[in-house]
Formats: sequence, C-alpha cells, structure tokens
Amino acid sequence: MQDINMQDIKFYDCRIIEGSSTSIILDNGKIEEISRNFTKGAGIRALCGGSWGYTSVEGDIDLKKGIEAASKLAFSMNDGTPKEEVELAVVNPPEVKNLPEIRIDPRDVSIEEKVDLLKSIETSAKVKGINSTKVMYLESEFKVEYRSSDGIESGYELLNVGFAVSAVASENGVYQAGRESRFGYGYELFKKENVLELAGKAGNTAVELLNAKTPKGGEMPVILDQELAGVFAHEAVGHASEADLVLEGDSILENRIGEQIASPLITIIDDPTLHEFGYYPFDAEGAQSKRTEIIKNGVFNSYLHSRETAAKLGGTPGNCRAQGYSMPVVRMSNTFIDNGDARFEEMLEEVKNGMYLIGSRGGQVNTGEGIFQFNAEKGYLIKNGELTELIRDVSLSGKTLEILNHVALVGNDLKMTAGRCGKAGQLVSVSDGSPHLTISKALVGGA
Amino acid sequence: MYELARKALRFAEKAGAEEAEVYYAANHSTGVNFKKDAIENAKDRFSEGIGVRAIVNGAVGFASTNSAAQIENAVEVAVAEARVRESDPDWVGLPSNGKYPTVSGIYDKKVEALELEACIEYALALIEGTKEVPGTLPTSGGFTRAKGRQLILNTNGIEIEEESTAVSGFVDVITVNGQTSTAYDFAVSRSLDIDFFALGKNAAELALKSNGGIKVESQKTDVIFHPFALSDIIEEALAPSLDADNIQKGRSGLIDKLGEELAVPELNIYDDGLIEAGIETSASDDEGVPSQRTTVIEKGVLETYLYDSYTAGKAGVKSTGNGSRSSYTSPPSVGIRNFIIDYPQTDIIANTQSGVFVSTVIGAHTANSISGDFSVEARNAFTIKDGALDKPIKSLMISGNAFELLRQITGAGFDVRKVGGIITPSIRVSDLSVIS
Repeated sequence: MQDINMQDIKFYDCRIIEGSSTSIILDNGKIEEISRNFTKGAGIRALCGGSWGYTSVEGDIDLKKGIEAASKLAFSMNDGTPKEEVELAVVNPPEVKNLPEIRIDPRDVSIEEKVDLLKSIETSAKVKGINSTKVMYLESEFKVEYRSSDGIESGYELLNVGFAVSAVASENGVYQAGRESRFGYGYELFKKENVLELAGKAGNTAVELLNAKTPKGGEMPVILDQELAGVFAHEAVGHASEADLVLEGDSILENRIGEQIASPLITIIDDPTLHEFGYYPFDAEGAQSKRTEIIKNGVFNSYLHSRETAAKLGGTPGNCRAQGYSMPVVRMSNTFIDNGDARFEEMLEEVKNGMYLIGSRGGQVNTGEGIFQFNAEKGYLIKNGELTELIRDVSLSGKTLEILNHVALVGNDLKMTAGRCGKAGQLVSVSDGSPHLTISKALVGGA
Repeated sequence: MYELARKALRFAEKAGAEEAEVYYAANHSTGVNFKKDAIENAKDRFSEGIGVRAIVNGAVGFASTNSAAQIENAVEVAVAEARVRESDPDWVGLPSNGKYPTVSGIYDKKVEALELEACIEYALALIEGTKEVPGTLPTSGGFTRAKGRQLILNTNGIEIEEESTAVSGFVDVITVNGQTSTAYDFAVSRSLDIDFFALGKNAAELALKSNGGIKVESQKTDVIFHPFALSDIIEEALAPSLDADNIQKGRSGLIDKLGEELAVPELNIYDDGLIEAGIETSASDDEGVPSQRTTVIEKGVLETYLYDSYTAGKAGVKSTGNGSRSSYTSPPSVGIRNFIIDYPQTDIIANTQSGVFVSTVIGAHTANSISGDFSVEARNAFTIKDGALDKPIKSLMISGNAFELLRQITGAGFDVRKVGGIITPSIRVSDLSVIS
C-alpha cells in the first residue's frame, strides 16, 4: 500500500455529537428502571475518488487523527478497488432557524414528578380486565456540530421527550395488548396531549380485543386509518423513493419520475421542517432541510437525496441522516399522504362490504419487488356500509403500485404518528401520517 | 476507560451504594460494504463505555457513559436514582461466587489482526460469488469483522474479563431480466471459516430460482421452514414467552406450563452458553453469572423458563445465565443464548409429498409475542411436489401460532445452520394456513 497523500482526499466531514438521555420504566406499577446515559463521540467521512472511508469514535476525540484515519481508509479502498469518482451536489451553509419551541424544559422537572406522571398514566391504563401494564418515559438532549472540508460549520441542539404505554389483558389463555405513545419537544407535551385518556384507550383496546374475532382473509375493499395508511406511505412508498435504494437497483420507482404511478388523489410529502418527530434544521451533510413532494397528484415527482445521490440522479440533497455516530444514509423525516376531501361516512358507503383496518403493529417491505406486509392492531368488519364486529390478527399485504392505484377516496383528517425507522441498522426519529384512505381492492390476511 | 472501571466501582461505594457493578465493553469493528457490484465504503468503528448499577436499600439505579470525564458523574447519578426508588422486596443481590467454565472458539487472533486489504478481498468474494449466476446482480452487502472485550466487576467479588471476535458476510441479490425477484444470504462466525464466495452464489441462485412465481390456492398444508424463516419466528413469537420476566409479569403464553407436554415428543430445545464457537458463547453472561447449558424442552415437555439474576432471585431459583445486554448503555435483562432446536434429522424435502418450502419471511416482528400468533409474508417460497422443490410461489402469507407449531412439527432436515444464536435445521410443520 502506498502512503496516503492528503491531496487525493477531495472531501471530508465530521459530526460531533454530545448528549444525554434519561429513561424511566414503570412496570406493573413498580419502577423497573431509571437510567441515564451520557455520550460523546464523532463520525468522520472522507472521500477519495469513488471510495468512502468512515471512522467513528466514542468518547473524547482527536478530530485531526479521526480525519486521518478515515482518509487512510478511503485512500486504501480507492487504491485497491478504484471506481468511478463520486461527485457531491453543492450545498450552501445551512440556516438554523425555526427550531421547535420548548416551553417546559424537562430537565427542570424532578425525577419524582416524572415518576408520579408515569404512575397516573399506569392507573389510567389499568382499566377493568387489564393484567399487566408498562409505561416508559424517554427524554434525550443532544448537540450536533457539523464541519466539512467545503467550509461549512454549523450546529444545533434538540431536546425531545415522550412516553409509551402498553396494557395487556388475558382471559382463558388468550393475551391481547393495547399500545399508545406520543413523542415531541418539551415537557408541555404531557399537558397538550391528553395522556391519561390515551392510556385508558390502550387499556380498553386490549380488553376489547380479547373478544374480537379473527376474520377470514382474502381480497376485499378496505379503509385504512391514519396510522396504518401512514405506515404504508413510509414503508412502501417512502423507502422506494430513497435514491440510494434506487441506485442500488432495489426500487420499483427507478426511472419512474414524471409517470402517473398512483391514483390522482394521492400526494405524498416528506417534510423535515415540520415540528413533528422527524424534524431537523439541516441533515447529516449540512444540507438545509426542505419539503419534498414525492408524489404529486398521482405523478411520481422526486426521490429523496443525499449529496452523492443528488449529484448522480439530479435533485436536491437534504435527506441524509444518521443515528449517532453512524455513517449517514438517505432517510425520510416526516412523511405523509396529504389531505383529500372525503368524509369517513362516504368511505363506509363506498366500501359497503369489507374491512376497516386500524393502527399498526409494524410491517416490512421489499422495495425492489414493490411488495409489503403490515399487521394492523385491530379492525372492524364493514357490512352494508356500517362498522360491525371488532376483529384482530389482521394484516394487509400486496403490491405497492397496485394499492396506490386502487386508492378510491382520500379523507380530510390527516394525523401524524411519531416513530423510529430502522433502515441500515440505524434508528432515527421519524413521523408518518395520512388521512383515512379507501382502497378498492387489497389482500387481507387473517385465519 | 478500561483502567477506570475499578475506580468507578470504588466511586460507587464512596457515593453510598451498598452493592455496585461496573460493566465495561469495548468494540472495534471494520466493515467493507458494496452497492451493486462496486465496493463503496470502509468503516472503522471504535466504541467503548461503562454502565454502572448501584444498589441502595434494595433499589437499583443505572447510568452509563463513554466519556472518561463523565464517569464520576454517571456513578453519582446511578446512586441518586437508586435513592429515589422504593426498596424492591424482590431484589436479592448482585451475582457472587463466579466459578467460570472454560469456553473455546470465541476468539480468533487472525480476525483481530485482519488488515483492510483482506477485508476487501472477502467483500469481493461475496460479489464474485453472485457473478457465477448470470441474470443476477448484487444490490448491497458487505463483510465485517469485529473484536470485543468485556469486563464485569461487582462488589460481591465478581471479576470476569473476556475477549471475542466475529466475522460476518451479507449479500442481497436481485434478478435483472423478466420478473423481478430478490434473495439474500448471510453468515456470522467467530473465525474465518465462512465461504463468502458460496454465500454470494447461494443468494444469486435463490433469486434466480424464485423468478416467475406462480399463484397457489389458499389452503392448509405442510410447510418446511428454512432455518432463516424459522429462527425469525422463534425469536419473535416463541422466545419472549420463555423469558422469566414476562412470566412474572403476566406477559407470556407459557405461564403455568412447566412440566406440560408443549411439543411433539421428538423435540428438544436447549439454551446453551457454552457450545464451541457459538455466537452467544462466553464463560459468563452479561452480569457475571457463569454460562451453562439449560434444557428448555425435553422430549416435548417444558422444563424451565430462562432467568437472569434478578428474575431468578424473585422466583427463588438459580439464574440460568441469561442476563443479557445489547450494550453498555443498558442494564441486563433476560435474553436467549445459543438456542438449539433438536429434532431427528432426515432428508426432509425428499420425504415430503406435497407442501410449501419457505426460505425467509418478512414481518415476523409483528407477531404477538404473548399469544404466539404470527402472520408473515413468505419470501423465496416454493411448492413441493413428490419430494422435490417444484415451482416458485409469487406471494404467500402464512398465519399460525408458535406454540401450536411446536405440536405440529413432523420433521427436520440435515441442514443445521447457526442463524446468529439460533441453531436449527429446516423444520416441517403440518397443517398450516397459507393465504395467497
């Protein structure tokens, strides 16, 4: 191996992150865990020709050494397996503005008060029939500093809080769970959201599901609630629009820009500037965050980009993100299907006989083949245009493009849900949402 | 930081902890990753940190840090947290009397010494393997090697230090002609005994073989799960119910089932922290309890749940050595070790008249971890006709229940595979619902 020549390194950047997090877990009314974590570290990239070197170091860091180590990796890679040069789209120094306002700093609230809050959430979730409960409080603050060889230097601090509650009911060997969670900025979240009511809802869901039926699966018209439709927007459409997957040949949306790929009722947007859980002022490459219309009135409009993919495919960077000190990849932020004008009652009439699927217990998608599978938390049978029996263990699967084209009605009741997305083994905060949707034909899995 | 671990223990005692534990972990990994058929990046990651458990009056506090400057602060925070909590009547104590078994095969000097150039060669072998199969292209993948060091100290005299290594390869492949189909393969090992070329070739062959899938009728039929598919279901729908913490909190489908015939009599399941070169093998678990081999299911009968030190104390039994941590940033909780599925082996596909073979599943994490119900999308699935794989299946959902599945096992293959910690052959299950 030759000695590294720093002139061959045409780009490098560093992200230095320092922060702390607190979690409190209340399990069956008892504090199970109070833990705090203090972290510091950096992730450093260097580009040589077509090869990236990446170094991450935890603890106290010597940036100069880190840059050298990453440069050495990039240089050796390029030396050993040279390939086409990577170009990076130009970014301007970002403006850090419009950060979420925090009225009550959670750090000013005592641990005792937080524990009391969790206890009252627990009490509300423990409706008649509930055997066990778990409530979790999470708080994290972090400071990000970004520096690049392009001369960009910027930074910001974010602080977020949230909670999750789950309640389990059991009867004759059948167990069912109900879950609710909310995440946001500032302790006022717990005043703004009716957390006790949400906790009660989690409890009631679990109890109701005990006596819910498992429906017969098959093809039928369905209504998706905001959460499940949001998961579809994120998992099935959002991921396929990530330009890194497109470049890997792992997306059904490759070469589709300008094509009508969905019902004209569908507009899907990714917007990191919204003060939802996927907010950021600039991304992990120092690119200003901005709104992207992925699908506009059914026409595929734009991929989501990093600086590298934007240069390759033509587009604007701003969607490159990382968990902690990991290497940034193309990611979503706040992703949603925009409002239409249908009312829920119209949807029931339109469906006539089918299912109303509510909530999500997660899902997976194969972006290359454009197929997906999501499990709903619960649902209702729709008979003669009316909601009837409660159902459980239902899942939705199918082809992304078919579902997009089978959207018959889009509601006017957009709602966002906070979550974490785990692409590339890295968890980042996101939110996704939608109004209610009617799909004229979908494959529902059941018993 | 390593040098500071002992200091942290003394800090904790000085700050008023009656018992204290310091968990130190350091990891250095190097990964070489490709996109399509070109090497894209090399990543070097160094991580190192300390997690402290402090106990005051039977209450536990926990804090962690990766910054040397923050250690004293973290220890104080842990003690302060413990003081906020009410005394926990179920707390017995931190582990003591660690007499450790000898384990082998978890550290390989060659892995630690591997140069970047060699890592690149292994990544290239994955790509080369896929090129053996025309009509396919890799989409992404990579090679990683890692070296870890762990030290556990507590005020009851526990002191155990271990070093380990791991290598892994992963490759995702897509077909380039006709209908699109994809497949992946991966392997992880303690030493350099993985055939990376073969891994790439297998994935490419599977992708190609899956091309041109047909639609099958919804029905109840025999399903053979490849180790990849089965281990996903075990991890998400079965293992959580064996966790003593879930038992004690009323969140398991296996409450009051000890001694019951849960599975077919030919089935044995072991949780084993000691097997040679296992991915979950180590002399101690993550809180200093000696590792052991635990018979979970013997001849179909449920023998025990899995315990860490806390849940064992609460139940008045001995820890099974299942105290597990995902990193130094979390306190221990119950987790499976090498989880071994044992069933008499035969040439399982050849012995199956008709049914479905499922290579992998997606959506296992959406299973109901309490009731064991799962509904997954089968990937790279094939019909079985007269003892051989016949046609690829386009789209298929499989619904079932993990506990019922144990009672419906009718066969196992010779193809035992280590899927991380889960070690299993292909398993045939009768009478499962497939929906198309």
